[in-house]
Amino acid sequence: MIFGWVSFVAERSSELWLRTAEHILLTGVSTGIAIAFGVPLGILAARSPWLRAPLLGAISILQTIPSLAMLAILLALLQKIGSLPAVVALVLYALLPIVRNTLTGIEEVSSDILEAARGLGMTPRQQLWAVQLPLAMPTIVAGVRTAAVVCVGIATLSAFIGAGGLGQFINRGLALANTPLILLGAIPAALLAIAVDLSISAFDWGRKPLRKGAAHPLKAVLKPLALAAPLLLVSAGPLSFLGFRMQVASQAKGSPSLTESVCIATKNFIEQILLGELMAQIIEEKTDLAVERRFNLGGTMICHGALESGEVDLYAEYTGTALAAVLEREPVTNPAEALQIVKSEYRKRFACEWLPPFGFNNTYAITVRREEARENGWEKISDLSDRAAGLSAGFTSEFMERPDGYPGLSKKYGIQFGQIRDLDPSLMYEAIAKEEVDVVCAFSTDGRIAAYDLEPLDDDLAFFPPYQAAPVVRRETLRKHPEVRDVLELLAGALDDSAMQNLNYQADEEKKSPVEVARRFLERNPKQTVDRAK
Amino acid sequence: MKDLSLEISEGETLVLLGSSGCGKTTTLKMINRLVEPTTGSIQVDDCNVMDADPVELRRSIGYVFQGIGLFPHMTVRDNVEVVPRLLGWSHKERRTRAAELLALVGLPSEEYGERYPDELSGGQQQRVGVARALAADPAYLLMDEPFGALDALTRDVLQRELLGLKQRLAKTIVFVTHDIFEALTLGDRIAILDAGSLQQVGSPEEIIEQPATDFVRELFGKPAKQLAAFQGMMP
Repeated sequence: MIFGWVSFVAERSSELWLRTAEHILLTGVSTGIAIAFGVPLGILAARSPWLRAPLLGAISILQTIPSLAMLAILLALLQKIGSLPAVVALVLYALLPIVRNTLTGIEEVSSDILEAARGLGMTPRQQLWAVQLPLAMPTIVAGVRTAAVVCVGIATLSAFIGAGGLGQFINRGLALANTPLILLGAIPAALLAIAVDLSISAFDWGRKPLRKGAAHPLKAVLKPLALAAPLLLVSAGPLSFLGFRMQVASQAKGSPSLTESVCIATKNFIEQILLGELMAQIIEEKTDLAVERRFNLGGTMICHGALESGEVDLYAEYTGTALAAVLEREPVTNPAEALQIVKSEYRKRFACEWLPPFGFNNTYAITVRREEARENGWEKISDLSDRAAGLSAGFTSEFMERPDGYPGLSKKYGIQFGQIRDLDPSLMYEAIAKEEVDVVCAFSTDGRIAAYDLEPLDDDLAFFPPYQAAPVVRRETLRKHPEVRDVLELLAGALDDSAMQNLNYQADEEKKSPVEVARRFLERNPKQTVDRAK
Repeated sequence: MKDLSLEISEGETLVLLGSSGCGKTTTLKMINRLVEPTTGSIQVDDCNVMDADPVELRRSIGYVFQGIGLFPHMTVRDNVEVVPRLLGWSHKERRTRAAELLALVGLPSEEYGERYPDELSGGQQQRVGVARALAADPAYLLMDEPFGALDALTRDVLQRELLGLKQRLAKTIVFVTHDIFEALTLGDRIAILDAGSLQQVGSPEEIIEQPATDFVRELFGKPAKQLAAFQGMMP
């Protein structure tokens, strides 16, 4: 058990270095910027009472925005994924405790002392710098401490928008329903929060002057050291990054130096990660390009946004999703027609190319427990219509919103489920297996349909549009690296529904790593061994 | 404040005496413009204070505060050096001056200079307050009930020390108190205020022998009776 853990962590130690480094830097940079803005804002609010209420109000409102919503809003505003929106979000969250504590600290300086400062002939500026700020310091430091710890926590969410950090493990662990992986992110993040808290406490202690009565030679040495504690912690970021570089260098002997690279994104569910790995490995294998993996981004629009802005070069998209969510078109039921539309629209509007599809059709499947289907004689979706009011459904949030999801389904079939719960895709199957819900919107290629003994119902009114998956690549990338097209075409038609279900099952239920599953698939599949690229 | 007219001669100690809320502290604060008068004028060295720059005015007048008002984040020495630093004195000048003053108030800087105010007793803190007020060698000293918060014994000691300082330094002092004995001990002249108006100004002897109003008679009569009664109790 313990040995298993040790080797589990050891295998991922180089990535752990990297993610920790990213996490520390995200937190450190954000807190730093928040201090640079927050303290002056607090001073400003203390000196101009009319500014106080609107400023605190505005910052408090920012604080109430849920973190994921904040990330999504910033994504839309900044048109970028990665660390920029993450840092902006963290700064906005860190601002409130810093501004508020600066203000409180200054206002709490006793009026006697302030009158003394005035009476001795200090100008308002001198009163601020020589009296108010030094006396407000403990309160300000406490505010910074709150802000920094909050940042460590929220930074775990920035993995959703490709900013890295320890949240990457958590995210991936959630997508793979892999608890050790979740813990690999969560435990270091918790330890980091404690370390941040301690380092700022140390700073606060080091800041207090040495008293003559309580002087001790050791304290004289420790105080400056304690003062530097937060800086030492932040500089552990680059150090940790160095650790990662050294590990990578020692692993890849004769290092690949700085080759050109393509960047591949995926959404945050297992099939996407597998497709991402397949594409990444075949490119690494058969071209001289390196691959940068920006996996687990938090949804279609984030991936599409990143592709459009050129931050990633390619990802796997589904025709139905592209039509509904990206192009905002009516659903098209003919698969060939759907592919034709997205091809020409993407070429025109986004300068992106759809390469030939992988072969399978991962459509939504309204799914029930097999046993219940047999008992009630349910075979097609229409069979549910008279019982729907008594059934509880578990749908993903995306399904709840998309026109080709529940809203359209409910109109087409005239079905209204009695109760609907928003569930994470990775929790949906477990929820139906444990009879917490009766109906879910499974994906037809999901390995868990078979594993949990579920029955997808027939879409008898042909409501769900086809969802053929295919690589979507920036035209720019294909022009620079035409070999990318050649190798990705090797995957065309390579995966039918059952092949994809099988890969999903291996990763989801057998808990094999996606890297491994993808590698074994490529090894076994004779078509890909023919090296047509070179 | 109503119709208050007072003249203070150089080198004199004038005590403003009255009960709480009578306006004595307000009067004091108007001299260095911590409170601005709405009408009338205050002249220091024949200059109207309203024409002076308030910051420079305050630096030129020593002030000892009622609540002591030492800066808790500064050492005793730094507290004493505040005004010299504001005036741009060199480090060396400041050090010498602080050492001199701390010695004067009986807190040698070698021992007390590096301490923080909360490491001192109340009496010691107010000694530092006096040293701080004297730091830039101002010609005028405003003292706002400086010994009000101290116990009777400490107050007595500090009053005596102040008398000694007064003789040595020849400062013009305005001293606010509600303690009649303190007023009698320290004042060259005493101005008695009640409800914002001046009742009488005069030397301690004049005031005791010829009280100008009933208020003054009452004010001094009562403690005298108490004292007599107290002496009757003594064996």
